[in-house]
Amino acid sequence: MNSGWKAEIAAVFGKELRSELRSRSGLTTAGLFGIVTVFTIAFASMNTKLDGNIAAGLLWVAVLFSSIVSLPRTFVTEEEQGTGDLLRQWARPHAVYWGKALFNLAQLGAMSLILSFLYLGFTGLDLKIAWLYWLTLFAGCAALAGAVTLTGAIVARAANRSSLAGAIAVPILLPIMAAGVAGMRAAFGSGFAESGAMSALGLVGYAVATFAIGPWLFAAIWKS
Amino acid sequence: MGAATVWSFHISPAMGFQQPELARIFVWHFPCPILATVLLLLGGWFSANYLKTKDRHWDERAASANELGFIFCLLTMATGIVFSEVQWGAWWQWDPRQTSFLVVLFIYAAYFAVRGAFPDPERRASHSAAYALTAILPALFLIFVFPRLPQIVSFHPSDSILKGKIKGEYAYVVLTLMLLMGILSVWLYRLRVRAGLMALDSEFNNAELAIGSSTSTPTGVVRPVRISPEDGGSA
Repeated sequence: MNSGWKAEIAAVFGKELRSELRSRSGLTTAGLFGIVTVFTIAFASMNTKLDGNIAAGLLWVAVLFSSIVSLPRTFVTEEEQGTGDLLRQWARPHAVYWGKALFNLAQLGAMSLILSFLYLGFTGLDLKIAWLYWLTLFAGCAALAGAVTLTGAIVARAANRSSLAGAIAVPILLPIMAAGVAGMRAAFGSGFAESGAMSALGLVGYAVATFAIGPWLFAAIWKS
Repeated sequence: MGAATVWSFHISPAMGFQQPELARIFVWHFPCPILATVLLLLGGWFSANYLKTKDRHWDERAASANELGFIFCLLTMATGIVFSEVQWGAWWQWDPRQTSFLVVLFIYAAYFAVRGAFPDPERRASHSAAYALTAILPALFLIFVFPRLPQIVSFHPSDSILKGKIKGEYAYVVLTLMLLMGILSVWLYRLRVRAGLMALDSEFNNAELAIGSSTSTPTGVVRPVRISPEDGGSA
């Protein structure tokens, strides 16, 4: 990747970061949603030691829905504020996709870290295989960021974009969630470590595939 | 099709099921997910061709393949649910294959939600094509990988025909119905594509007529309207 591409991607990333620091809408929305979900789970399971199978599923529900709430906003706000056309003139589609996807990854990664510490703290769960937990979490975040960035771009110019974003994202994100749950279940000591590691590797593969085809599909719709 | 259906009621019931007589629905269930999968892949292929060429004929083919695939997906779920109730004792078992195909059904439905969200035909075609290709990877994972993972326990056997688990006259009936449903789906697909292309052509002709009429001599007279304070805004 030459310096021109890097500069464009960094500029898009920087623009997203400045917008987020100015409005704090994405992290606030997703963070609040995730924290309230985690707190609700902990509240509902008060004085009950969660089973690893259930704990993994509940954590992924919080991460999945937080990402769906916040990540498509990177494109939706461009259309709502009327800045999308300027961005189309100024940057190449691949740079826009990479810049926004990397920003989404950073945002989701930060949010997942906060959620993880809160979740582990509230529920008192023990991490039996810590490296598997963190690998599953970050590979899952990468796969989610790549896929939700693309679905966000697809719905950005639709009339019913807010409701459509969740409706079209959830079916294609469910496999990520299934692999994520399998990885974390093993990390909590409720499954075989080998199958958990395979699931985590599957997530890495999914993330790589999403980031590989995402820019090409995005380029096909961005200027249409 | 009628003869094959009658034939399916005359073969001896397959053993190994809770209710062998009622397991005959299997001969209808079996071809549905295969055809749904083939049509999903075809839809993806046509969508890729649309994005490459921007020719809306490919979009019509993609939409037709996905519509038909959606119908076969619904039939898969309907026949599977009946089979599940009769043989396994519950309408819904959370069986990995049952669950994964339900998600494939959601993916198909989301494709039509995307199509319905864009009134502009060009934008509808490009956005739905991008979604169809985005959905290919999770759909393939759900259909081929997830049910075969070593930790997954399913009531559904895998590769029944290839491994020779279905044999004799039963296999002939299953394969005959598979072939007939394949022919039926090709016929339906061609009809749907033809209807779609005719609609596309008429849309194109109407657009040409509209352009042609706008350059011809105007038939109506536009009266100039003067708005001034003296005459109180009247023409």
